[in-house]
Amino acid sequence: MNFKDRLQQDFSTMTLVLIPVAIVLNIVVGQIASTLSLPIFLDSIGTVLIALLAGPWVGALTGLLTNLIWGLISDPITAAFAPVAMVIGLVAGLLARAGLFRQWWQAILSGAIIAIALSFVAVPIRVYMFGGVTGSGADFVTAYLLAVGRDLFSSVIITVISSNLLDKVVTAVLAWAIVKALSKRFVARFPRATAVVGN
Amino acid sequence: MTLYLSTNGPLHRLHPLTKLTWLLAVLAAALLGPSGWLPLGLFLVAWLLAAWGGVGRVWLGRNGRILLPLILMLFVIHGFFNPNGQTPLLTLWRLTLTQEGVAYAFLLSSRLATIVGAALLLLLTTHPGDLLTALTERGLPPALAYIISSTLYILPQMQSKATAILQAQQARGLETEGSLWRRARALLPLLAPLVLGALVDSEERAIALESRGFRVRGPKSSLVELPDSPGQRWLRAGLLLGILLLIGWRVWRLFA
Amino acid sequence: MALVRVTDLTYRYPQTAVPALQNVTFSVEPGEFVAVIGANDAGKSTLCYALTGYVPHFFHGQMDGSVQLAGLETRERPLPELVTLAGLVFQNPTTQMSGVRDTVRGEVGFGLENLGVPRAEMHTRIVEALAMTGTTELAERHPRELSGGQQQRVALAAMLAMRPQLLVLDEPTAQLDPVGSRELFAALQRLSRTGLTLVLATHKLEWAAAYADRLLLLHEGRLVQQGPPQALLTQPQLADWGIAPLPFTEAARQARDEGLWDAERPLPITLADAIVGFLEMRDTSKHF
Repeated sequence: MNFKDRLQQDFSTMTLVLIPVAIVLNIVVGQIASTLSLPIFLDSIGTVLIALLAGPWVGALTGLLTNLIWGLISDPITAAFAPVAMVIGLVAGLLARAGLFRQWWQAILSGAIIAIALSFVAVPIRVYMFGGVTGSGADFVTAYLLAVGRDLFSSVIITVISSNLLDKVVTAVLAWAIVKALSKRFVARFPRATAVVGN
Repeated sequence: MTLYLSTNGPLHRLHPLTKLTWLLAVLAAALLGPSGWLPLGLFLVAWLLAAWGGVGRVWLGRNGRILLPLILMLFVIHGFFNPNGQTPLLTLWRLTLTQEGVAYAFLLSSRLATIVGAALLLLLTTHPGDLLTALTERGLPPALAYIISSTLYILPQMQSKATAILQAQQARGLETEGSLWRRARALLPLLAPLVLGALVDSEERAIALESRGFRVRGPKSSLVELPDSPGQRWLRAGLLLGILLLIGWRVWRLFA
Repeated sequence: MALVRVTDLTYRYPQTAVPALQNVTFSVEPGEFVAVIGANDAGKSTLCYALTGYVPHFFHGQMDGSVQLAGLETRERPLPELVTLAGLVFQNPTTQMSGVRDTVRGEVGFGLENLGVPRAEMHTRIVEALAMTGTTELAERHPRELSGGQQQRVALAAMLAMRPQLLVLDEPTAQLDPVGSRELFAALQRLSRTGLTLVLATHKLEWAAAYADRLLLLHEGRLVQQGPPQALLTQPQLADWGIAPLPFTEAARQARDEGLWDAERPLPITLADAIVGFLEMRDTSKHF
């Protein structure tokens, strides 16, 4: 199957109606996590979930649009991090395709890989557009690292990875568990999902 | 739901693409144009426009909420800790405020304020549906417009569902407060009904979408007519030209 | 020429062993109002999907035999072409709202936008479809904030505006209250009078009896009976096919067995007929 046909299959009508659901899950579950004052964001769970079902391209689009819509409804700054959300979906989909989302321990490993991969995009954006600042508590970590003599870039790398590692691991495991819990009939609608659940 | 204010000012009546092109031009000016006072000037222009458009107060309030924490941290972190800081301005206890750090913080702050201010101008005065209609007429894939509109439609439904599930679980004795472990354990019984419930409908919604001819090929039309004017067309053309000139200037400076 | 011709249709959903439909053959003439009745899982929904092309195009699975819609073999035509010929309204009112338009007017117009109907004609068609379904006053409301019955009529209007040749309805009143059901059936009756061809799957026998020209009875995926409501609904073996007979038909049958109901008089299939029948029985009988 060539790339165009593959994309057409990826973006079936079923997938198209599922992308908004995934975006809303990102936003709503993120809000629940902050209501429960958990130390993780969980605001990319929909992106990872749909990446496992429908592949890296759908995952990337879902991530991208999540942040654009977030920007539309509350805070335009979020839109600047759209490339980060995109990488999360893309990498989750690629890992699933590589067979790295079959077992729970693989999901943990994949979560860690996602956290590292996203920092490649998140760090430059944070450093060059925002001077390494987020306006949140994480800034004190950055300030401390700068104060003890690290440069801005490596300080931000440490801040980004440390605040994302646990979050992405938990997100990956939850998304994996959800896909496993879905009915066979539903999962059969997504040819890519066989890489996670088998045939 | 969105930032859009359904009042009816002169900015509301502008074609969405006019406001979007303005945002792009400001973005180009802030990121590529000469630094210094230009970004701040554009921020003040946005303020004047917001006031003229009848959304001045909301615009200012939103800007403050989004920008103040960022700007504050920028000045703290770069003012005191910027590794390039050499010229001391004043010393507090063991921390030294440097001129280079403050200048850098000022540069980034004014840039961010300009971009956020221009974006808010667009978002406060443009109905998302109209923006999508305008973009679809100019070639945005209908699937993208569908995804964005559909998200804005189901978000409040899901939010109230999440609240309902949360309250129901609390009524059944689920602890949503207390130790971290307790709160973390509260997550799964919240998540499962929400996620699975959201997925169940999708087959029917896909059929509904097909039944409305969404996959029919060929040109689509639009029920909403967006008023446009020759003046706005000229303005957009001028702004686009300006953006190109800016990019050209940057590229030229790169090699000269 | 028949608008719908189903020949020896057998269909199995993916990953299932038992066919949902087996050797089903029938046709529908233009302008006819056909009701499909049968127990749950008799295959009513599957038949509705087959008439509109979602079987096999959306559900995949194994389809044998043929379904022809306006002379076109549905299996060989793309789904987007079929949806312009046959409209579908189904059970759940909320999932039928497109979720991308924030007024009823826009919702009804959404399908027309996808078909590329010019704006001026769109306005005419929307006004017409709203009037036909009794939703004119709802035009500027948000689809999300309507009752189930109102949403269902908006879904109906959205299909009508696309001017299909056939309209298929799968249990459209299953989630509606009695008022909502009555209003929907009233709209269907108006539509039938304009000459639109309707196929309605329902378990509300009294409505099927009152409005349909012909009934199809499905049982375990097979078409076991078809004919005019009067002949079909008065058969004593109805219960064998998983259908509870109408209570007043049953009452009249028992009265007839007791010699109270005139044996020459057909058994009633509507409440009105039953009332008239029992009143005349009172007037002519010495038992009362």
